[in-house]
Amino acid sequence: MRLAAFARPHRARFAGSFALLAGLFLCELALPWVLRTAIDGPIVAAQTERAAAAEGAFDATPYMFQLGGWSLVYLLVVLIAAVVQYSQLRYVTRTGQRVIHDLRTQLFTHVQRMDIAWYDRNPIGALVTRVTSDIENLSELFTSGFVALAFDLVKIFVVLGLLYWVSVPLATVVTALVPLLVITSILFRGGARRAHRVVRAKLSKLNGYLQEVLSGIRVVAMFGRQERVSSRFRQELDSYYRANLKTVLLFALFFPLIGFLTVLVEGSILWTGAGALSNGTLTFGDFLLFWWWVGMLLGPIRELGERYNVLQSAFASAERVFEVLDTKAKVVTADAPTALPEPFRGHVRFENVSFAYGDDEVLRNISFEIAPGKTVALVGATGSGKSTLVQLLLRFYDPLAGRITIDGVDLAQLEPHAWRRHLGVVLQEDFLFSESLEANLTMGRSEVSATSLAHALDVSTAGELIARLPQGLETQVAERGVTLSTGERELFAMARALAGSPRLIVFDEATASVDSATEARIEEATHRLLSGRSALVVAHRLSTVRRADTILVMDRGRLVESGTHDELLASGGLYAKLYELQFSDDTLP
Amino acid sequence: MKTLLPFARRFLRHRLLLSIGVTAVPLMAVADIQITLLIGRAIDQLRLTGETDFLPRFATGLLVLAVAQGLFRFLQRWLIVGVSRRFERDLKQELFDRLVRLSFRFHDKSRSGDVVTRLTSDVENLRMVLGPGTLMYVLSAMVIVPGSLYVLTKMAPLLTLCMVIPLFGVTFTMKYFARRLHRLSTNVQERQSDLGHRAQESFGGVRVIKAYGIADRESEQFTELSRRSADAAVDYSKASGMTQALVGLAHNLAFLPILFVGGAAMIDSTLAAGDLFKFVDLANKSFWPVIALGWMAGLVPRAMASADRVQALLDETSEIEEPTDPVSLPRVRGALTLERVSFRYPGAARLALDDVSIAVAPGETLGIVGPTGSGKSTLLSLVGRLYEGEGTIRLDGVPLAELSFATLRGALAFVPQDGFLFSDSYRANLSLGASAPLGDEHLWRLVKEAGLEREVRSFPLGLEQPIGERGVTLSGGQRQRTCIARALAADPVILVLDDALSAVDTETEAKLIGNLERAGRGRTVLVAAHRLGTVKGADKIIVLNDGRIDAVGTHAELLESSNWYRRTWKHQSMQAELEKELGRR
Repeated sequence: MRLAAFARPHRARFAGSFALLAGLFLCELALPWVLRTAIDGPIVAAQTERAAAAEGAFDATPYMFQLGGWSLVYLLVVLIAAVVQYSQLRYVTRTGQRVIHDLRTQLFTHVQRMDIAWYDRNPIGALVTRVTSDIENLSELFTSGFVALAFDLVKIFVVLGLLYWVSVPLATVVTALVPLLVITSILFRGGARRAHRVVRAKLSKLNGYLQEVLSGIRVVAMFGRQERVSSRFRQELDSYYRANLKTVLLFALFFPLIGFLTVLVEGSILWTGAGALSNGTLTFGDFLLFWWWVGMLLGPIRELGERYNVLQSAFASAERVFEVLDTKAKVVTADAPTALPEPFRGHVRFENVSFAYGDDEVLRNISFEIAPGKTVALVGATGSGKSTLVQLLLRFYDPLAGRITIDGVDLAQLEPHAWRRHLGVVLQEDFLFSESLEANLTMGRSEVSATSLAHALDVSTAGELIARLPQGLETQVAERGVTLSTGERELFAMARALAGSPRLIVFDEATASVDSATEARIEEATHRLLSGRSALVVAHRLSTVRRADTILVMDRGRLVESGTHDELLASGGLYAKLYELQFSDDTLP
Repeated sequence: MKTLLPFARRFLRHRLLLSIGVTAVPLMAVADIQITLLIGRAIDQLRLTGETDFLPRFATGLLVLAVAQGLFRFLQRWLIVGVSRRFERDLKQELFDRLVRLSFRFHDKSRSGDVVTRLTSDVENLRMVLGPGTLMYVLSAMVIVPGSLYVLTKMAPLLTLCMVIPLFGVTFTMKYFARRLHRLSTNVQERQSDLGHRAQESFGGVRVIKAYGIADRESEQFTELSRRSADAAVDYSKASGMTQALVGLAHNLAFLPILFVGGAAMIDSTLAAGDLFKFVDLANKSFWPVIALGWMAGLVPRAMASADRVQALLDETSEIEEPTDPVSLPRVRGALTLERVSFRYPGAARLALDDVSIAVAPGETLGIVGPTGSGKSTLLSLVGRLYEGEGTIRLDGVPLAELSFATLRGALAFVPQDGFLFSDSYRANLSLGASAPLGDEHLWRLVKEAGLEREVRSFPLGLEQPIGERGVTLSGGQRQRTCIARALAADPVILVLDDALSAVDTETEAKLIGNLERAGRGRTVLVAAHRLGTVKGADKIIVLNDGRIDAVGTHAELLESSNWYRRTWKHQSMQAELEKELGRR
């Protein structure tokens, strides 16, 4: 089994855990045995001698010493048991957590390496579940499932064996009744698990509704619909309550039933042992020992159903986890990646590039060139393929046909990480992580220095925004912490791109409308970002388009117009119309 | 303890069920003790007389006791836990009802996660401690422990005394460790949720991570968090290992006096073997209740903290209440006047609205424009009386503070900026606006007016289509248009649009505004917007800046009088042209 592969490096520790468990088990077995030996030994001997001896001639002292000795032995075993029990749990947890840590980090790293096309197919929520809940389930397996189940089985058989050693007829009675307990336990746990699952689902629905109402509280209040949401909440609450009552009933039945069966076992033992006990073939000490060991037998049997559940859900999780680990990334590094010639010039060529998402063709036969230091602007309607073009350059996907070269080297021959480090990338709805602003700007890149960051903040004008924040660069960007506006996010994203002192800029401009002051600031920053660097820009702002060296007009995956500002103007096409429109109004800011 | 009292009283609402359940608790404990005594007596009888003919009687007695014990155990669980679930249901409902009626000052200052905690884990803490905790575990310990001790003391007082000491050692161990264990287990959960957040961000931000080639950094950070999570689990295991070891130790130590003192008594022939058995068995039976007692004692402080938080929410009052003698208007005409209205958000340094006065006649459309943060949304919130500021806002001449909620809410319909919809059926979302259920024909008309007919027809389930998480996902524009249809379903006298068309493209917007104007004939409309095109046709437009009215006028007038308006208009119309040109191709 593959899980075993993850456990193998820690097998010494697993063996250790098993040894500690065995030690604890021995102590537990030994305690009643000491009691029995003391009772059947000095106590019985003393009682017999007293009965035989004349009145007053009996001296109890030697027997008392023996009893004291056995008491000390008992105390010793008790102390050892306590120490072993403490170390056992720590040790097992530590071992399990090591395995889990290895597995979890390996899984995370693997997911990170997968290509974007794979991310498109797998919802983020499901991926998060893989590295959290599924791994948690597996950790249950290592800490309380695997070892404990194996050991519970050992316990059940060893104790049963010992019972036969004490008294065959009594042990036979117990063996006959044990299946009843096992069946009850397994049936109940199965039912309880299903019932719990329903309760959890209803509860999460209830809490989900609560969250939703809280986030839409403005709408609820404005429409005065408090009554209506209350009655809807009542419905959800009621169905949660009813599901709960089912589990309550299940547990209310299980505990009395197990209690009843336990008394049944005890009664049967006494009934069967009555004869032997009365004629002395079964000593009282043996009876007590037997009684105690039966108690030790019932515990693991009660837990059996629970352990079985843990195993089942852990195996299901393991399957899901390994499915992810077995998936290989499609965008792969060439076997012998080529390095870019130094110095990097930033000369990009698209040669007859085509691309499709599944059957959906998005780019057909695109060819163009970005000369070093020049800006190419992409314009076109939504869905015309602009963003895809950018994603191909970032090598999130590989083209279906044609190729892209960088300074004459085929992009597919480059190591993706190394290639991307030459880029300054500003994506739409650029993602800010919940860390400090500084961490968001540097992103742990070795090429970012304090100087380059300061320069980037200055050039992008994001520095002015930071100056306004009380905690400056230390400000935490959090879900509910500082909320940055769309415009501010874009400025920070530009600063982030600049901080790496890139030679090539890839910029997908935001479409969301921002207020004019921020707009002007962004236009200025964009201009500074692009000047002197090679750049591919998905342009939505007129000012960016006008300043570009080459403008490519895209339509449904094709390049329909391209050229410099002057060429396009002369051709009298779409761009010319826009240009006219612009200058017909001389009051433009 | 006093804080728990009002909640304990809530349990008394179910007196009948509770009294049966609570009576079952001591009865069960008594049956439990009797079983041990019966077996102990049988052992003595067998050993001393050597006769076995009493066995059928013994078996019958045992069976009766076992059945009685099972029945009582069932009753106590079923009734007490059942009642505690009812307590949970009723308390949650009450909290929710309170919550949705609280004012916006409350919702602004409290984080939604915190509020959710009160309705979830805080209520659960109270249910656990007051319900099964006190009524089942504590109560049964209160019976079985003294009961056993009484029986045992009568047989051998000295031995009982020696046995009691380790037994109560367990209670204190548990009380001490319960809090620590709880703290550490919370820590384990928090570390796990850190991992979840990190994974969410890393996977969600995968494009940026790849674009910057910083996957290694992400892995390092995740590894660090993973290590912390593992450490937290190990820390917890240390404390729980210690607890288990100490409990086990105390348990086993209880048998040491039984062995030594009891053994000595047997040598002296002052204690029969059956009595020794009773000691062993009752020590075992008292053991779990004693552990539960300590565990509960450790949980009480937490429950008290929960009680405080829940009580605080129950005591929370809304500062915006319906007046005691509210004015109800049978027919609202829709005349709105704002007289010198100012407002400051709690804790904010500057005024969000500063001395705003404006009058809107019935059937007029008022456009509200201005830069981000100029007070557009605040003004609309004040009109809806979500907040109360200085100055007076009148509806048909009556100050809002004197109006009945029914009149105000019935007259207004609101379209929010974020296009908020419930994850419910499409029909339910539209109907939220209406005070009475609407017919299909009516609903389709609304859908058509909002320009959504094609989309809704394409839903597999039509109007019954669930939307949101478990249903279809709507685009921002579709959501906003649905919100408009929802508002129209209310057939309002005053329609309030808070930048409600920002995600709709200009062309659709123009069409929608036409529809709205037709649908809105005779309605008073307040429309805040980023895009000036949205308000171009308004009867009156105000330009807000830093909470003050900068300029008032029609579109044509403002192009003359307001610099900001003119500049923004030029800029935006050019953008719109570009969009249109590109879209046409």
